[in-house]
Amino acid sequence: MLKFSFALLFYDFFMKLFFVSFIFLFSSVCSPIFSQTKYTISGYVSDKTNGESAIGANVYLKEIMKGTATNQYGFFSLSVEPGSYTLVVSYLGYSDYTQKVELKSNLKLKIELTTSTIITDVFEVTDEKTDKNTQGTQMGTVQMEMKQIKEMPALFGEVDILKTIQLLPGIQSSGEGNAGFYVRGGGPDQNLILLDGAPVYNASHLFGFFSVFNSDAIKNVELIKGGMPAQYGGRLASVLDINMKEGNLKKMEVDGGIGIISSRLTIQGPIKKDTSSFILSGRRTYAGDLAQPFVKSTSRFKGSNYYFYDFNAKLNYTLSDKDRLFLSGYFGRDVFTFKNNRDGFIMRSPWGNATATARWNHLFSEKLFMNATAIFTDYNFVVELEQQDFEFKLFSGIRDYGGKLDFNYFPSILHNIKFGTHYTYHTFVPSNASAKSGDVEFDKGKIIKQYAHDLAIYLSDDYDFTEKLRFHAGLRYSLFQQVGPYDRYMKDEFENTTDTIYYQKGENVKTYPNLEPRFSVRYITGKTSSLKASFTQNYQYIHLASLSAVSLPTDIWVPSSAIVKPQFGTQYALGYFRNFKDNAFETSLEVYYKEMKNQIEYKEGALPESNMSDNVDNSFTFGKGWSYGAELFLKKATGKINGWIGYTLSWTERQFDAINKGNKFFAKYDRRHDLSFVGIYEINKKLTFATTFVYGTGNAITLPVARYTINGYLVSEYAERNSYRMASYHRLDFSLTLKGKETKKFKSNWNFSVYNVYHRYNPYFIYFSNEGNILDGTLKLRAKQVSLFGIIPSITWNFNF
Amino acid sequence: MKKTNFIIYLLFLVGILTSCEKDITVDLPQTEQKLVVEGSIEQGQPPLIILTKTIGYFEPADVNTLEKLFVHNAEVTVSNGSLSKQLIEICTNDIPDSLIPLIAVLSGVNVNQLAAINYCVYTTFDQSIWGEIGKTYNLTIKADGKILTSTTTIPNLIPLDSIWYKNQGTYDTMGYVWAKLYDPPGKGNAYRMFTQRRGKDARMIPIIGSVFDDKFIDGKYFDFYSIRGSEFNSAAPDDDGEQRGYYKITDTIDVKFCNIDPSSFLFWRTYETEIYNNGNPFASPTTTMTNIKGGGLGIWCGYGANYYTIIPQ
Repeated sequence: MLKFSFALLFYDFFMKLFFVSFIFLFSSVCSPIFSQTKYTISGYVSDKTNGESAIGANVYLKEIMKGTATNQYGFFSLSVEPGSYTLVVSYLGYSDYTQKVELKSNLKLKIELTTSTIITDVFEVTDEKTDKNTQGTQMGTVQMEMKQIKEMPALFGEVDILKTIQLLPGIQSSGEGNAGFYVRGGGPDQNLILLDGAPVYNASHLFGFFSVFNSDAIKNVELIKGGMPAQYGGRLASVLDINMKEGNLKKMEVDGGIGIISSRLTIQGPIKKDTSSFILSGRRTYAGDLAQPFVKSTSRFKGSNYYFYDFNAKLNYTLSDKDRLFLSGYFGRDVFTFKNNRDGFIMRSPWGNATATARWNHLFSEKLFMNATAIFTDYNFVVELEQQDFEFKLFSGIRDYGGKLDFNYFPSILHNIKFGTHYTYHTFVPSNASAKSGDVEFDKGKIIKQYAHDLAIYLSDDYDFTEKLRFHAGLRYSLFQQVGPYDRYMKDEFENTTDTIYYQKGENVKTYPNLEPRFSVRYITGKTSSLKASFTQNYQYIHLASLSAVSLPTDIWVPSSAIVKPQFGTQYALGYFRNFKDNAFETSLEVYYKEMKNQIEYKEGALPESNMSDNVDNSFTFGKGWSYGAELFLKKATGKINGWIGYTLSWTERQFDAINKGNKFFAKYDRRHDLSFVGIYEINKKLTFATTFVYGTGNAITLPVARYTINGYLVSEYAERNSYRMASYHRLDFSLTLKGKETKKFKSNWNFSVYNVYHRYNPYFIYFSNEGNILDGTLKLRAKQVSLFGIIPSITWNFNF
Repeated sequence: MKKTNFIIYLLFLVGILTSCEKDITVDLPQTEQKLVVEGSIEQGQPPLIILTKTIGYFEPADVNTLEKLFVHNAEVTVSNGSLSKQLIEICTNDIPDSLIPLIAVLSGVNVNQLAAINYCVYTTFDQSIWGEIGKTYNLTIKADGKILTSTTTIPNLIPLDSIWYKNQGTYDTMGYVWAKLYDPPGKGNAYRMFTQRRGKDARMIPIIGSVFDDKFIDGKYFDFYSIRGSEFNSAAPDDDGEQRGYYKITDTIDVKFCNIDPSSFLFWRTYETEIYNNGNPFASPTTTMTNIKGGGLGIWCGYGANYYTIIPQ
């Protein structure tokens, strides 16, 4: 109760603050523009060697110590009074760019950065006044550089973005064999994963062992775990914004890697030098295929196989100095085949994502930047079973068509205003089945699809109120509408359909309009320290429902409907940020409290077939969630030895009236302690050693407490939900990257990595086995823990020419 | 070629190193013992209630502990709306051994089990409360200071259209029992099927996946096959390896095909999910949905039973 009233108090305070500042901000925008003549320095920042635009580079004027950061397309705009200035651009892993400017009229620049000469500075090249850690209003935001990710140890040598971000505080993996990641107590469905602006609904291959993001095709990764800005929405917990490379604008380039279980190849280059380029990237595993010749032709499992592949492509055109066009696409599939020839049993299951985006950048003026995006994304899962005369097919999926208009307006150096609108048309196929016995087609009911409009309008501003105080205020209006055609089945107590309501095509089934305020503030407390606070409210209209205790591709996406209310989250966060020794060390401490309403679970006793030929939401039940905790982060950014330590202390709970007798229970990914350590040591120019260590409290699971006998079989009675903890998870990894002889045309390296160095069997799941019989006194009951990986050494050869 | 061999060798090495299963000790909390009802009523037969208690998961599992789980001297009443009768407790220790096979047939309990321990059931010889098609039966149990209640119905009979044995694939002596069913239109029908091989099985054993409802088959005329079920952790040779799940061409097979009500279906369906999955995390949650109210566990199930006999040759 105390917690609750605190939350209310906080809420009230933040809401008032929010509205006051919101009104204040936008009234202040207009006034200074007309008061004095100002000129604008604007332009693009890119990498000199390949023309890739630099995202989030700091651009500032030394004399007034004010500046901005480039947007997603490398664009910046600064409007200041006339005068002479020193323009400085600094960016992760690049040498600082300095230029004297005599500002007498608007100035357009095209800035090309060269890679830092000091190779050890793989992290941010920092300047006292440009360090983002303490200066931005943004909280809980991490940018990762691909170069750094590639040096870390990897399972089977397969470099993975999702695995790397799980080493940051507040972001938890659920161990091996689980898809998805958990941010501040939120479920895997509460992360908005964007690939070039298109949502990716299932970001993992092979049940979570690998992510769908091919590291060779990715330029930049940004993760927002708190204080989500208003241009993002639709998820409660986090945003993972991933940008694909645009393709080398200067010269043809080939990258590749050959590993134990997979290989990759990327080709990129200019179509017309400095104006257009392309990138094509592919990856495929062959572990299952390689094993094929060794499976005896007489084996009953002959023909069983597993593989995945993915493919990225992007085209980039500079149409004029005001217009740029990007076309990008992703396609990936996992294919699993299982055959048991003796029983004539065949299972085939393909699943995967496809995304496509077309983006057009346009500059209306030096101060107004626009990006228009068209989006397509599709995720589907199929499983086909065949035995005897029976055929069974199950499929589910989600498909979106959408568009976005995003504007970036820079009225003065004090403001960075963003506004825009997003629209998506969703088609959900929650779960449908067909079954046949011989010639008789079983009644799987109509294929139930659900359609919905998803619309949002937003406005936000970053405003430097004083030298020390900066606000970010944003407001997002979101509207979600489920529309027909749709058949709603009304149920009796035995889940039998008593009545059906039919909705026509386009007819409104249920509409949810909502306002989502976002607010954050930064106050500089010292030369290299600051205090930040944020308040965020989000609505989430799509939900991932999981029947099993581990997240699998079979988990289905369902929209909000008359029964499923939108998830609603409120997060308060407070952080202290301080850098030491010329920003060589970055530290931060963040605390957060989060409330989530309308969380979704399957009803107790729900069956896999409950979804079929029914409204899937009839099998759900709803409840609340909380999460709170503290995150400590210490990073050494520069030097031959660098890396970080992240520690999280947190609590995550759920309460559902219809589950666990209405009692509160810990979420399965409630993690009291979560520690990660990353260390990178550049031994010499050729040799780099990296190590990671992770520790996490064991997952909360439900175990039986008692047993009884019915019909001669043992039946378990279960304890309170998630009341038991599995053993903790910890693991140490090493990797060594050895650069081969480097010529101007050809570069290569060998990566040796050892996963789980001390061969710990971390728990994957626990089950109970019984053998023998009661009557002859031989019954034995045992608890068994299953682990997936012991020590795994691997080797990968990477090349570039 | 050597290189690929090396990679494959590495792969297999990885395969050996990875994935492990080990026994662990888990500390389970103490829990209050609950009453467990295993009750049935079939047309033309007496109500039969086995009343036991739950036991801590890792408590010893032997005959002595099992005997102690039976709840004696409970007040068990069955009513059919117009008539209410209290059942009497009969234990195998109290009756002559010659009657045990008969009790086994009636109760569906393994005859060996009945002979091995002092097995108790609540029932009645008063035929006025024996099962009748279409009637609803209320059960009330007073025991250990608790009152449990439940309701079940014996649904109308839905017979199979036909039933036969068929060799499976290339086998010439093993196969499945096949049947043709016409499900009457209108949802809400549910079925449970048992088989017993004469001279081999000590009781009617539910087939694998013994329950299904008409969610997908409403109003359909279709064939289905049944995989033979077995006794709990059976070590019999034909319950192991290749023969498991099959009937033999030499068997004489008695079949009991029942119509059950929706709440009984929900119990048996979740019960079977639970006993087959045993905590497998890939499977659905394992809450067995009891139809016993008042804090008890288990089932009170009415059966509208049809009997068949198959002689394959």
